[in-house]
Amino acid sequence: MKLLEVDDLTVQYGPAVAVDNVSLELEEGERVALIGPNGAGKSSLINAICGMVKPARGRIRVRGRELTGASPGAIVRMGITQVPEGRQVFPTLPVEANLLLGAYGRDFRNELISATIRYLRRKGEIADRLERVYTLLPKLHELRERPAGQTSGGEQQMVAIGRALMAEPRLLAVDELSLGLAPMVVHGLSEFLRRLNEEEGVALLLVEQNASLAFALCSRAYVLETGRVVLSGTSEELENNENVRNAYLGSGLEAADA
Amino acid sequence: MTKFLQLAVVGISTGSAFALVGIGMVLIFRTTNIVNFAQGAFAVIGGLVMVGLVDDMHGIVAGTLAVLLVALIGALIGVIAVGFRTRTTPLASLIITLGLALLASSLNLLAFGDRPHTYPTIFERAWNIGGVLVQPQFVIVVGVTVLAALLLTLGLQRTIAGQALVACADSRRAAELVGINVRAVAAIAFAVSAALSALGWVLLTPIDPVNYDSDVRIAINGFAAAAFGGLVSIRLALVGGLALGLAEQLIVGYAPGQARQYELAAALVILLVLIGWRSRHEAVE
Repeated sequence: MKLLEVDDLTVQYGPAVAVDNVSLELEEGERVALIGPNGAGKSSLINAICGMVKPARGRIRVRGRELTGASPGAIVRMGITQVPEGRQVFPTLPVEANLLLGAYGRDFRNELISATIRYLRRKGEIADRLERVYTLLPKLHELRERPAGQTSGGEQQMVAIGRALMAEPRLLAVDELSLGLAPMVVHGLSEFLRRLNEEEGVALLLVEQNASLAFALCSRAYVLETGRVVLSGTSEELENNENVRNAYLGSGLEAADA
Repeated sequence: MTKFLQLAVVGISTGSAFALVGIGMVLIFRTTNIVNFAQGAFAVIGGLVMVGLVDDMHGIVAGTLAVLLVALIGALIGVIAVGFRTRTTPLASLIITLGLALLASSLNLLAFGDRPHTYPTIFERAWNIGGVLVQPQFVIVVGVTVLAALLLTLGLQRTIAGQALVACADSRRAAELVGINVRAVAAIAFAVSAALSALGWVLLTPIDPVNYDSDVRIAINGFAAAAFGGLVSIRLALVGGLALGLAEQLIVGYAPGQARQYELAAALVILLVLIGWRSRHEAVE
């Protein structure tokens, strides 16, 4: 059974069509990229998958279970979490609180009072999970008492990833990992995601404008333009596709340099 | 000296009620980024409903009903103010609360008429401490205020529920993504803060009668108290509220002739100076 199946999905904002009849699928433990220019509908697509926008048409299923129109919390409980564009950490809260809140939708549901009771009851298990995130991302342990807004961009991206991991996802949807970060930092984070995928089996859906990063990290990719999938295939096939090279890999510039 | 002490006792009591309003504003601002101008209306409705009910039932029952009713109204206003679209901005929400406050005061005018309302105190006796009259209500309102400030401060910092509340204001998008129901959180924050404001005037109406338009004065005092804490510090909102209440009573008590009418303006000037002093102090640190 597929981990994620999206069939003929359409997302509209008023009359504007952001995602137009898109279908895609993803196996357990796979690494798949969505590439395309600004405004191609990549973010709208993963926001629909994560329940942040209601699709106008189409279906989304996780392991065969329908999730079209479910709330973001319900989708987190089905094993999909998002690392949002621009990190979106909780700036005034300490790093550790940011991480703990990642478990909120997974374990505490919506109500504040029952949330607190559940939290107290499952404290041990959540603490174990927190330890594991600290083992995976030791830097976060050092920063745990610092307000997340006072950490560097790369550290905030770690917080956002750690927060998503606290919900024990089967699929991590990462929106623009590289945005606004130094190449060194991006490299470190993408190696971390690769290890996470290989060692823990967490599937990745990577939304990226940086196509070379996407191809290096993912085995397959979909190319989105103006809301439609115009190309899809293995990273190797796409890397060798002339249109993709010209549009996304800047091969023209490299040729000029040579 | 007795006069001073008596004014101080009353000042600290009304100051506590201002602090409750201010703390409510801080709670709402910290959880939704909304500056809630309907906060004064919560207090007025609490006081008016209390006056309406108190003849027919025991004072404690009437007070509880009034506070619960206002909490319910608060939750409703919270949901409306946060909006049904994800992109309602805090500024739009502020305007919504302002509109709802005007609506509330018109409805209060229709329902209760244009005259100050009050009720005789529900407690049989007051304590006379060396000539200073201390009503049980004073003690209750001060106690409730300090307790509320303490519990809310600890709750927001130390519990996962409190952090979820703060998270909603920090990043609404991320809060939704981790599965927090932002609208429900707003309803809870508004309900709690409405209940606190209402409680202040349920207790204080006997010494500070409410009219349909008292909400402006109360909202300004509460906002000034909250502003003293930069809209985020519950502790400083408490201090600000107490300072305002004290200053206003002392001005009423000691200012010559006409000047005592301007107690609110004078108290706000004092608070403005204090805010200025505090921000300079912080800048130096």
